[in-house]
Amino acid sequence: MVADADFWLTQFLNGMQLSMLLFLLSIGLTIIFGLMHFVNLAHGALYMVGAYVGVSAAASLGNFWLALIAAPLAVTIVGIFLYVAVIRRMRRAGPMNQVLVTFGLIFVLVDLVRILWGDIALGMEQPAILSGPAEIFGVSYPAYRLFIIAVGLVVMVALSLVLSRTQIGAMVRAGVENDAMASCLGINVERLFFAVFCVGCALAGLAGAVAAPVFSATPSMATDILIPTLIVVVIGGLGSLGGAIVGSLIIGFIQTFGAVVLPGFASVLVYVLLAIVLIAKPAGLLPARS
Amino acid sequence: MFYQTPLKSVTVIVILAALALYAILGGYFAGEIVVEIAVLAILAISLDFVAGYGGMVSLCHGAIAGIGAYTFAGLTALAGFDGFTATLAALAATAAFGLVVGAVTANISGIFFIMATLAFGQMAYVVVFEWKALGGDDGMSGVSRYDFSAIGLNMNGSVEFALFCLLVVLIVYAVAAYVLRSSFGRTLIGVHSNEDRMRALGLSVWKHKAVAFSFSSLLAGSAGILAAQHTLFVSPELLVWTVSGEVLIVVILGGLGTLAGPIAGAALLVFLKQQVSDYTEHWHLVIGLFLIAAVMAGGRGVYGQVEHVLQRKARSDANA
Repeated sequence: MVADADFWLTQFLNGMQLSMLLFLLSIGLTIIFGLMHFVNLAHGALYMVGAYVGVSAAASLGNFWLALIAAPLAVTIVGIFLYVAVIRRMRRAGPMNQVLVTFGLIFVLVDLVRILWGDIALGMEQPAILSGPAEIFGVSYPAYRLFIIAVGLVVMVALSLVLSRTQIGAMVRAGVENDAMASCLGINVERLFFAVFCVGCALAGLAGAVAAPVFSATPSMATDILIPTLIVVVIGGLGSLGGAIVGSLIIGFIQTFGAVVLPGFASVLVYVLLAIVLIAKPAGLLPARS
Repeated sequence: MFYQTPLKSVTVIVILAALALYAILGGYFAGEIVVEIAVLAILAISLDFVAGYGGMVSLCHGAIAGIGAYTFAGLTALAGFDGFTATLAALAATAAFGLVVGAVTANISGIFFIMATLAFGQMAYVVVFEWKALGGDDGMSGVSRYDFSAIGLNMNGSVEFALFCLLVVLIVYAVAAYVLRSSFGRTLIGVHSNEDRMRALGLSVWKHKAVAFSFSSLLAGSAGILAAQHTLFVSPELLVWTVSGEVLIVVILGGLGTLAGPIAGAALLVFLKQQVSDYTEHWHLVIGLFLIAAVMAGGRGVYGQVEHVLQRKARSDANA
């Protein structure tokens, strides 16, 4: 085994990159979970839609940065449609029915993507400015992957500030803590849910578009990313920003370093951790509700 | 409460008889479809036992069946045991796995229970996937079917095997119905409707749930044994979580908490898949829309809806 510092720094950056991608997805999912008590298995499918829209937008507009705006917008529109058609009606239907309906949505979205884009993996050009390697502490690392880490960190800081410093943030936290009490105090919780749901969809779309140049867009990404994201949400605690951050970092690093240190055992490790957390602290490591 | 109503008996017997007729008259292809339905029906019955009557919505029943399939395949193809011993061992293995999962998750409910069972199922999947002696991600071939040549049955025939699978469905249904009617089953339904009340009555709730989950896993294991013999091959694909999701879909389409409904749901899903894929390769789209519509229409399922309408009619007739 290579044990020099450069190797570990590269692995650290790989871990960070995976963690940030997981964070972009899990933050939307966890707030929807915590605020709306809604289990949305189709969140991974929205990520897939974001990747495909990103690929198409980049190809037709010829501009990576416009694609990065188009993908979240398109996914939000898809999300609004899902909200009006399905999710709003399933709000009080219990977790099992929600799991089933959103499981059905995965089938539908994946097949629609197959019809529209075909069944092959589609690649996406990295923007010229980020295409080369970058030097960081003497280690050469792809600049685009550093960009993914940066996007994740920017979103993380922005969301922390909005949630902790603004009035809307306070309303969201109140809604997660006790939605009945929040609506008694004159907060339109339903509208708040809708706004949060849209932000969650936009972030899933952004994650998809950002990931497309590295992983390519494939129909299987809808279910591949879903399980790690759900694990992050459950380990971190439903509805909590801190939980999503901690959970993403734990899962991202276990998967990255596990693959290096204990090949073959890394994915078992993640599920073992999930089982332990569910048994010892069912509410998650950093639950939103005190 | 669970009652083996005449409607349930008639439904089960009519569906199984129709499938048997279809297998006998339809040739090789029909036999394959009937086996697929039978395996799915057994899994769905076992899931309905815990989900519909015990409130434990498991997302690892596919993985449990996979454990049964792998135990059976490993003991017959690798270790050279006979089919009978391997069957007993496979059932014991699934029951043991179910007992552990049930005991550990007994105090978890709702979405957390679903997630916990998902975690255990995926653990089994990853272990099988990485286990090189069992073929890893290539799977394992060389499984053979039961040898019933002593009584003149050739199980390698498509029709014979299909009929045998239908017989197993009937046995599994009968065993599940018998257990639900016993005091154990009534207690389980009592736990489902009010856990605190049963605890106050002096019941050790977690033990009861664990044993129920273990029993359900044993039934699921029999589905895995048949699946391994059907294709003469096992692969980690059997244990992926989406298989468990499909079983849950079958239970919902047929009717959760009806025990007879899952058999109807399995037949419905497999035939629907067959019909739709004749016209388009995008059968997932149709199944997905069908599922969404079924759940949003009230979620009683096909059989559940019929039972509901008939019961309401009987009640209004009694009042008139």
